[in-house]
Amino acid sequence: MSDVLSPEASTVMNLPRRDAQDKLRGRTKYTVDRARPDTLHAAVLRSTLAAGRIRKLDVSAVWDCEGVRGVVTGQDAPGLYGIGIADHPLLAVDTIRYHGEPIVAIAADTEALARAALKAIVIEIEPLPAVQTMADALAPEARLIHEDWRSYDLLFEGGARSGNIAWEAKSSRGDVDAAFARPDVKVVESSIGVGRQSHVPLEPRVAIGSWENGRAHLQTSTQVPWTVRNVTGRVMQLPPGHVRVTVPPVGGGFGLKFDASIEPITAVLAKMTGRDVILENTRQEEMATCLCRENAEIVIRSAVTPDGEIVGREAVVLMDAGAYGGEQVFLTTMTSHTLGGNYRVGAIRIVSRAVYTNTPPNGAFRACNGVYNTFALERHTDEICAKMGFDPVEFRKRNVLGDGDLGPTGQVFEDDVLHPMLQRMDALREKTGTVEHLADGRLYGKATTVGTWFVFVGPSAATVNLNADGSATLVTSGVEIGSGTMVQALPQIVAGQLGLDPNQVIVREADTDAAGLDAGVGGGRTTVSIGAASVAACADVREKMLRTAGEMLQTKPEDLVLANGRVEIAGRPGSGTTIPAVVAHAQATTGPISGSGSFTAKNTPAMSGCAAGHFVDALDIPVFVVHEAEVAVDPDTGHVEVLAYRVVQDVGRALNPRAIHSQIQGGVVQGLGYALHEEVTITADGRIAQDSFEAYRVPLAGDVVPVAIDLYEGAPSMGPLGTKGAGEVPILAVGAAIGCAVANAIGKPVDKLPLTPPRVLRLLRGREPKPVYLHIAPSWTQNTLG
Amino acid sequence: MSVTFRLNGQTTRFHDDPMTPLIDVLRREKFLTGAKPVCREGFCGACTVQVDGEAQMACLKPMGLLDGREVTTIEGLGNGREPLHPLQVAFAAADVVQCGMCFPGMVMALSAFVRDHPEADRTAIKTAMVGNICRCTGYERIIDAVVDHLKDGAAPKAELADV
Repeated sequence: MSDVLSPEASTVMNLPRRDAQDKLRGRTKYTVDRARPDTLHAAVLRSTLAAGRIRKLDVSAVWDCEGVRGVVTGQDAPGLYGIGIADHPLLAVDTIRYHGEPIVAIAADTEALARAALKAIVIEIEPLPAVQTMADALAPEARLIHEDWRSYDLLFEGGARSGNIAWEAKSSRGDVDAAFARPDVKVVESSIGVGRQSHVPLEPRVAIGSWENGRAHLQTSTQVPWTVRNVTGRVMQLPPGHVRVTVPPVGGGFGLKFDASIEPITAVLAKMTGRDVILENTRQEEMATCLCRENAEIVIRSAVTPDGEIVGREAVVLMDAGAYGGEQVFLTTMTSHTLGGNYRVGAIRIVSRAVYTNTPPNGAFRACNGVYNTFALERHTDEICAKMGFDPVEFRKRNVLGDGDLGPTGQVFEDDVLHPMLQRMDALREKTGTVEHLADGRLYGKATTVGTWFVFVGPSAATVNLNADGSATLVTSGVEIGSGTMVQALPQIVAGQLGLDPNQVIVREADTDAAGLDAGVGGGRTTVSIGAASVAACADVREKMLRTAGEMLQTKPEDLVLANGRVEIAGRPGSGTTIPAVVAHAQATTGPISGSGSFTAKNTPAMSGCAAGHFVDALDIPVFVVHEAEVAVDPDTGHVEVLAYRVVQDVGRALNPRAIHSQIQGGVVQGLGYALHEEVTITADGRIAQDSFEAYRVPLAGDVVPVAIDLYEGAPSMGPLGTKGAGEVPILAVGAAIGCAVANAIGKPVDKLPLTPPRVLRLLRGREPKPVYLHIAPSWTQNTLG
Repeated sequence: MSVTFRLNGQTTRFHDDPMTPLIDVLRREKFLTGAKPVCREGFCGACTVQVDGEAQMACLKPMGLLDGREVTTIEGLGNGREPLHPLQVAFAAADVVQCGMCFPGMVMALSAFVRDHPEADRTAIKTAMVGNICRCTGYERIIDAVVDHLKDGAAPKAELADV
């Protein structure tokens, strides 16, 4: 008999967060809390025009203002940055491309003095006609938002580009024309439109820059320390190794902090002044320049046989990048994998274009374009069912991706996952019951939807140092943004591998001088990628520890096990010695015990010729969800109340089930905001209209319901212990489930989000215009750059 | 103008513009950064403190109105003997915290609420929470923890050590 648990079994637990007490007591120092009395404060002059040319810029009078220590313009940081294309200046140089674009930054003794000094800047901007919409940007004679688009450095090869089309990715598998020409099929087409979503993390984007020994040091509220390092190096034209990035606890990110933004400004000002400089977005700046989930326009059509087989599908998706390409360039990739996901399809082709407009740049937001592509695909699926007389749940059970099915780029999916998850949703519904009675005279609707997303794997590195007190220190570039990976999943994983208690695992917060390269915290990747690197580092540590213990105990290392802080002879509990004794022996004989490990994507290939312009040809780790909503719609006011919400989520293996439940509750509620009332609109002069909590309506306690949850384990994953990221996908299918449920309640198609009361009322009264996209050509091929 | 008030049990004086918001004094002069200046417009509740025991937004409270008042911040919560308020114990034990930025304000608002409404039901708790925005958690598990805290009547045993 042995009480030694396997590393897998000993890793799974509901470990509470170690950072909770300090956070509850207000002791946690976020970046926003780290300004010292001698820290300079920066303020930014931003454009009040959406498009223009800077004819004159004179900052000389700023130096005469009280308390001013430094002033920087675009000339001080001339390098361009971006994801895929380097098209983005830190501060506008000649051309203004969006309302809110930073032009000048001033550092002064206080924030008030820095803001006051902004008034001393002399600037003349010649207005240009703003290209506000994607329809405008794609018009034949449209003004080019980036006149020099051909001259930009390409940071990734393969995408087609032209003028205001920043990037185009497409996939094509099988003979789609032949599928649509079949005499036995019915063709169903849907047009869908969605607006932007603002992240609203409670901590805004904020950074503190210092200049130390000829290098920049940035403390910043970011999800991507290595991106901040590299972008700061790029714009300042320094070797990236001349930039150090450390990351205090982050007060929420949700993807907003998945790109560098204001950080390099503080580095430039710190270099100039020799002082620490903090730059913190005001709430107005934060929301007016939010790198939102983009607005998008989607046309999808399918050829379906009378017995419910989807033989052909094609789609065009236009994604508004805003003034700079940013994350949307990468995200064109994810259109194929999401809009082309969920279902087995005979032949399929999808084109996705990131389009420049003179609006604030968009960015990444939890599950990104997957959220609206899932809304579009699921509404389209329900329209197929309505037009052809299929039961929506049975149609899904018949057609969801299963073992051996091909994805849109020709990837072969492994195992049946979505079908058993739909059955688990049946069981969950049976258990919770349904609540039509709560509609109480209002219009009642229910819908079951599915979604496909992925884990954004990518490179991670980890080092584990074993200490003489029996504790272990894990050094990575991971960041605690609130999801708990750094305080729960990672210490659990390391403890499980080394036979320790998780409280004996110290987790170092990100420091690019201390830890190796990492792709950042996002895309559901931390537990998977940093976790896998940590497991590899622990294997190194174990090997050294067992070798040392073998010498001490005169036993073969393979006969030893790690458990309960001891190295024991297998099958003989209480034998052997303690880990501290082993560490002490190693330190005196062969040196301290440490191990390192790394991980990256396996880069699952596409079928030859199927994918072009894709950053990710196929999904290394697909993640699936099934979401079900019940709603009541007030026919007099258009108000939608969510009565019940159920989730079955593919988690691979749940390392901390309670923490995953919390992520699902939080992610679903963020999705409810997107589906129902979080609305971003652009004013006639190119501003984001909703730039305050008063104008932008995030969910409040009274808006939410407890989500009923079932975690689906056992689907294939290359993640450590078979795990998958669990924090990103809970938002994936919320717009879909709510959109479909509202359509079912009101008996009319729902083509747009959010479903604000005025929009629902217009839908009920037949006054909501259908989306019509004249700038999307009827022929799929005409929507591609060839 | 000179204002004399008590801050976390100690008498303190302020000599400056009476329109200065309390949040700036707390964070910039007293280095009490637990209250968070998230919106500065009174919408989010992240800067909630207690003034004479009542939950108030520090961003909307001019210093000139605090003469003779007792201000308690998250750093001053508790009676000095217990390391944590029972509500903080309940939140930690239920693992409801995520990014944590809203929690100092949430704790200051809800600790006043549960003191005054020990019989509150779930609906009343939800209503009391609408002034505190949380972007991470989706609220329900916080509400569960408050319900459990009230149901348990007496404060749960402080099973979490002071760290």
